[in-house]
Amino acid sequence: MPSVELIASSLVSGFLLGGILALTALGLSLVLGVMRLVNLAHGEFLIAGAYAGLFLVKYTGIDPLLGLVVIGGAIALLALPVHRFLLMPLAGKGPEAPMMTTFGLSIILQNVFVLAFSADTRAIERDYANVALTMGPVTVGQIYVIGFAISALVIAAVHILIAYTAFGRDLRASAADAEAAATVGVNVRRVHALTFALGAGCAALGGTLIGIAFSFTPVSGATYLLTDFAIVVLGGLGNILGTLIGGITLGILQSIGGVVLGDGYRDLVGLALFLVVLAFRPQGLLASSRS
Amino acid sequence: MTTQISSTRGSRSVATSGGMVVTGVLLIGLCIMIFVPHVVGEYGTQIGFRALIYLTLAEAWNLLAGYGGLVSLGSSSFVGIGAYILMGMLNAGGFGIAAALTASGLGASALAVIVSPAVFRLRGLYFTVGTLALGEALRLFMINVSYFGGATGIFLNSNPPPIEVLYVYAVALAGIATLVMEVSTGTRFSILLRSVRDDEDAASQVGVRAFRVKLAAFAVASLLMGAAGGLQALKLGAIEPYGMFGLQWSIDTLSIVIIGGLGVRFGPIVGTVFVIALAEALADYPELHLAMTGVILILVIRFAPKGLCGLAQDLYRAFIGRSGRARAPQAGGAQT
Repeated sequence: MPSVELIASSLVSGFLLGGILALTALGLSLVLGVMRLVNLAHGEFLIAGAYAGLFLVKYTGIDPLLGLVVIGGAIALLALPVHRFLLMPLAGKGPEAPMMTTFGLSIILQNVFVLAFSADTRAIERDYANVALTMGPVTVGQIYVIGFAISALVIAAVHILIAYTAFGRDLRASAADAEAAATVGVNVRRVHALTFALGAGCAALGGTLIGIAFSFTPVSGATYLLTDFAIVVLGGLGNILGTLIGGITLGILQSIGGVVLGDGYRDLVGLALFLVVLAFRPQGLLASSRS
Repeated sequence: MTTQISSTRGSRSVATSGGMVVTGVLLIGLCIMIFVPHVVGEYGTQIGFRALIYLTLAEAWNLLAGYGGLVSLGSSSFVGIGAYILMGMLNAGGFGIAAALTASGLGASALAVIVSPAVFRLRGLYFTVGTLALGEALRLFMINVSYFGGATGIFLNSNPPPIEVLYVYAVALAGIATLVMEVSTGTRFSILLRSVRDDEDAASQVGVRAFRVKLAAFAVASLLMGAAGGLQALKLGAIEPYGMFGLQWSIDTLSIVIIGGLGVRFGPIVGTVFVIALAEALADYPELHLAMTGVILILVIRFAPKGLCGLAQDLYRAFIGRSGRARAPQAGGAQT
């Protein structure tokens, strides 16, 4: 029987990590909700963010947390041509063609990462990532607290962007009914391009945080893609705040799985949960959007 | 959905007028291939074995995705389960290879039935993500559970049969896959399957039991994949979860069918030849090979949605004029 301190610390760590995971899942949820696109290259966008943070600190000395805006913006900009030249020409060809194209992109990016940066396991080394905070029986890594705070801020900002701005109105209209939105003058193509870029940018931010808190390899993206899908399923498609709740739920469940079954089972818990929810509560998937 | 409508037309003509011919050509080809080991030597036989395993997997995947619209990224789940079942049975002793391979197929089929409520619950794209999650979940499970050998995997107690013998099993398996495809694409079942693919609601309205039709295709395809995984395990003599449940199986299978021609009867064989040739050419550069596969996939999806077979069909029509009806199988066959 593990000690109370260990259990309490695991649960709090899981809660905080869940917030970071929610940020990584946000883009996947947005793209799926607005564009009806399963972006199988989402995990690679996340890893691209982790590499961007790594090289930012290596070559400029700028702390990746201070450079987050630059990293997110850079990856979002890189995502625009992907949408313009790979996905947009496939509009109207059914849902499989764009999805398989992102799968091809995912394979390309993984192997380009290996060729360019080697297959080594990397981590963004920062002093503040190794500090532990203790409060009562709970001990958690300081980076978890910082990561959670940043993630919650970004998620809140995206929520405000979508709920209260003109772009958000266009986005919600396109998500509800793209054809109707187009007839009343919404530039759906532009909304899709910006949504895709926003999703990639959020994934990159999450990736940088993951890169500081943990380690990553060129092929880590696949694991995060599936974890993020579990979060999207739990939180409801395209539901911003639901994503946060889904992420936290998954983070806590992963921690419980890690404590009860052993650390190797952490990721398995998320995948099993995903399949079980699909089997028994699929309506949870579409809680806030029409199919 | 314009492409889907045209693809229905294309595959129907293939199924009705070209299907028997294709199956005949394939079976005769496989009969000839039995004698290949005597001609090409050991290395050639190895490549032939791999091609036959790929062909079996691709035929199964084409049934799912091409005819059923069920794009799976979980081929590795069924390959892996088949591999573990075969190893378990042969190590337990008392079972012949044919019995163990049958069990591999049936076990994979059972897995398909068990997970079907989860992966079919929501339509279309969720099937893809669900099957992807299934493969990863099974891999993590096998790595962590020591009963199944953990990350080290399982070794075969006895010596695996020589490659010449394995090769004959592979020819037989590919032959069975061809016959299964003939039955699945040449009978009423193929019409049911394609009606579900093109419009599940409309099909249900006229009395097609969509869930059962999809499940039947899923179970049959998984049976073939499980047997192929078992045979691959027998050749390796030692299996571990990273390899047998690796995403590579899913990528290879999908690439073969999409490059060859999705929903085209001759697609898998054309794709197998192409993918094996590419793998041999880039054998020393694995990362470049995979990246190239990704590039080719994107190009084919964009510019040749019916794959190389579709391209051949278009070229043939351009040369002959518009009279070439359902000649794609023969045109595709000319490349092999």
